[in-house]
Formats: sequence, C-alpha cells, structure tokens
Amino acid sequence: MITLDDICCRSLVIDHLEIPPGITSIIGPNGSGKTTLIRLCAGLLDPKTGTVLIDGKTPRQTETGYVNEFPDRNILFSTVNDELASPLRFCHIPCKEITEIITTHAGVLGISHLLGRRMQDLSGGEKVLVAFAAACITRPTLLTLDEYDSHLDATRCAAIEIVQRQSGAIYIVRCTQQMETAAAGDYLLFIDHGRTIRAGTPASVFSSLSGTPYYPLSWRCLV
Amino acid sequence: MKLILDQVVARRGRWSFMAQGGFGSGIHLVTGDVGSGKSTLALIMARLFPPEQGAVRSEQILTVMLSAQFPEFYLTGLTVAEECVSWGLDADQILRAAGLCISTSTPPLCLSRGELKRLHLACILARQYDLLLLDEPFSSLDCSEKERLCTEISRRQDGITILFTHEQATFPHIDHIWEIADNCLVDCGVLPGALERWQHAPALVKKLVRAGRVPENLTSDNIREAACRTRG
Repeated sequence: MITLDDICCRSLVIDHLEIPPGITSIIGPNGSGKTTLIRLCAGLLDPKTGTVLIDGKTPRQTETGYVNEFPDRNILFSTVNDELASPLRFCHIPCKEITEIITTHAGVLGISHLLGRRMQDLSGGEKVLVAFAAACITRPTLLTLDEYDSHLDATRCAAIEIVQRQSGAIYIVRCTQQMETAAAGDYLLFIDHGRTIRAGTPASVFSSLSGTPYYPLSWRCLV
Repeated sequence: MKLILDQVVARRGRWSFMAQGGFGSGIHLVTGDVGSGKSTLALIMARLFPPEQGAVRSEQILTVMLSAQFPEFYLTGLTVAEECVSWGLDADQILRAAGLCISTSTPPLCLSRGELKRLHLACILARQYDLLLLDEPFSSLDCSEKERLCTEISRRQDGITILFTHEQATFPHIDHIWEIADNCLVDCGVLPGALERWQHAPALVKKLVRAGRVPENLTSDNIREAACRTRG
C-alpha cells in the first residue's frame, strides 16, 4: 500500500490517503495538485510536512519509473536507443543483455522503427512512447505517469494500457484527462483545490461525478 | 476564403507524406496516428515548413495563427503579465478568459501544463484570424476546459479553423473530417457522411455507426442523441 499522511506540499493537503496495488488514475481540474501528488509518490518532491511510504519504504528507496507531463523534459540522451539503454546501463546490466531487452521491449511497444532516431526529431507522441518505454524497461515497483496519454492516439493508448498491466509494476499511479482511460483503472482519485475529494473504484467515484464533464461519455451513451 | 494543398509532398529523412485538398471556411478536423505527420502538416499550412514538392496556395487569407503543440517552447515573457503583453493583450483580461486565478507576476513555466495551455489558448483566441491552426489544442486541458474550448472554437463564425488532435471524447461542431493514413492525407468529407469513412473515429462513434445510429455531428449532445435514438 502507498500511504500518505499529514501531507502539505505546494497546494496539496492530504490528511490520510491509501493507494492500493494496481492501476490508480488521478483526475481533476488543471492546477488541482495531480502532478504534485505524482511527484511525491515518485520521490521527486519532498513534502514540507508528512510522510509518503510505499510498502513501508520511502519513495527514494523504491524502484520507480516516471514520465513527465512535458514530453521534452523526459529526454536525457540524444538517441532513442541510448534513452532506452541508459536505465539498464545504470543497473550495470551486460551490454549484450541490454540489446536483447531493448529489442524485445521496443517490439512490444511498437517503437522498433524509432530506435535509430534522434530524440529531437520525434513527434510529441513518439517522445511520450519512448519516455514510457524507458520508465518501465527496468520493471520498477512503482510506475508514475503524468498525463502520458495526452499526445497518443486511441490505438497507442489501448496498447499502452496492456503494457502497463504486464509491466510487473506493483503500483501504477497515473494522471489523465481522458475519462475513458481513468475508467479502465482499478482505483480512482478525484482531486480539486489540493484536496482529495473522492477516492475509490472508478464506478463509485464516477457515480459521484454524474452530471459533470468528468463523467465518461461512453457511460452516458450505452450503445 | 480557401487554403489549397496542391500535390504537397513533405519529407523528413526516410519518412514522407503527401497531401492534396482544399480547406474552405468552417471547422476542419485532422486526425492520424502518432508520428503520421499531423504537426508537420500544420507547419506546412502555416508556411513554417517548406514542402519538398507541390505548393500551398491561399485565397483571401490575410492573417494566420498556429497554436503549436508545446506552448512551453514559445514563451517570450518571464511573467504571465509579460507574456500577455508580448501578445499585445491585457493580462487581467486574459486570465479572466482563461479562468485562471493566479497572479500576473507568476512565471509561466511555474504553471501546471494545463494552466499553461489555457493561458496560451486564451492569448490565441483573443484575436480573430482568417486561418487558425490548432495543434493538439485539447492536450492537458481538464474536462471542463475542453468543453469551454469547444464553445470558443464554435463561436468563430468566419475563417478557417483546423484542429489536429488525438482527442476522443470532446469536440466542437465539426464541418469536415480529414485523416492521415498510409502517408497520405485522406478527405473523409463533410459530416455526418464522413463518420462512416473515418478510420480514426473514436471507439464510441464507430460503435454508433456500426449500430446504424450515425450521429449528426461530434458534439457530446450529438453523440448522446444518437445513442438514445430509437431505430425505426
């Protein structure tokens, strides 16, 4: 369980919150604190007060993959191949094994054709796909994804949904503005003005958002 | 008023695509897979990327604006106030239009991505342009803001508006659909007929079309009406 207690960080205030294993989606208005929550879980922010524990460990003691909401802020290296290889190199995995892992991983994500490309030449969606691939290539315990789907087509979103399930991550915490994606997760948090307004299964949280623009369109239009 | 793509061919390394067609007044939707060339097409239409072959011609288009995919690269002010002034606009008015409750002294890069997008779009939509190109305008916007943006876009009575987007749920009233498939720009036509030819249609729209309930258009009201329609 990811537990957050007595958190005060930027605009985010959380007395107590538990995030269970599985896929947790975070939704809410712009500026409500979604990114702050993601960054706290990823260990990229230290709260001014309070604690974040992932199965009893601090975020920085936990293997974590992270995708930034700004696609270009994920880029560390000049080529796609180096971007994918670097997390494995940092783990001191032998070069031959790295090549094999990259080939398999890129094939699963449908980005094999990008391996020889320079990062700066990729489209926005392609940059996100590479960032996602790099974030989960070491099979981390926690995968944190900040609006990873805002530049992806529906086919890619569906493929990535499957890859998330198969990633081996115990916890996947993701922000999204696509309510159909949020509905496909296991757990849902609705945040507004820095407070967790609703937490629970997608069915229970969305039932409280019925009549708002957050209610999934496909749920309003059962065909 | 018309924008014409005359046998346009764009190339970047081994990747290339071809575009042919005329864009008249109204709201056009351009869709395509990741990396299919939507942003390149937007740049070509804005004459910011020269095609390798063919030509872009315009008739009666005097003012053009491109809202690029990543507004963070196009900031010129160190504060929200400076950014608005750089567009020749009043910061307080823009913040009101964007529905943002922030100080005008806030550095734009300290805003969340959604807030930055709202600021950027409010600056763009504060003026009327003959040709308005919006590359991924809905990305990072929350659900309420997406709906508000649709209302704003629908208010544009004159001119050509072209949306390049992966959005699956929230659309303004669309006049014409295009898509990039197999490295070619394909003209799906005007709505509602275009919905039956549109390969990149959202899953819900495809489902409705398959069920014989073709929506009149793509607004949420149109989709709901089609879903509730009794077949007869």
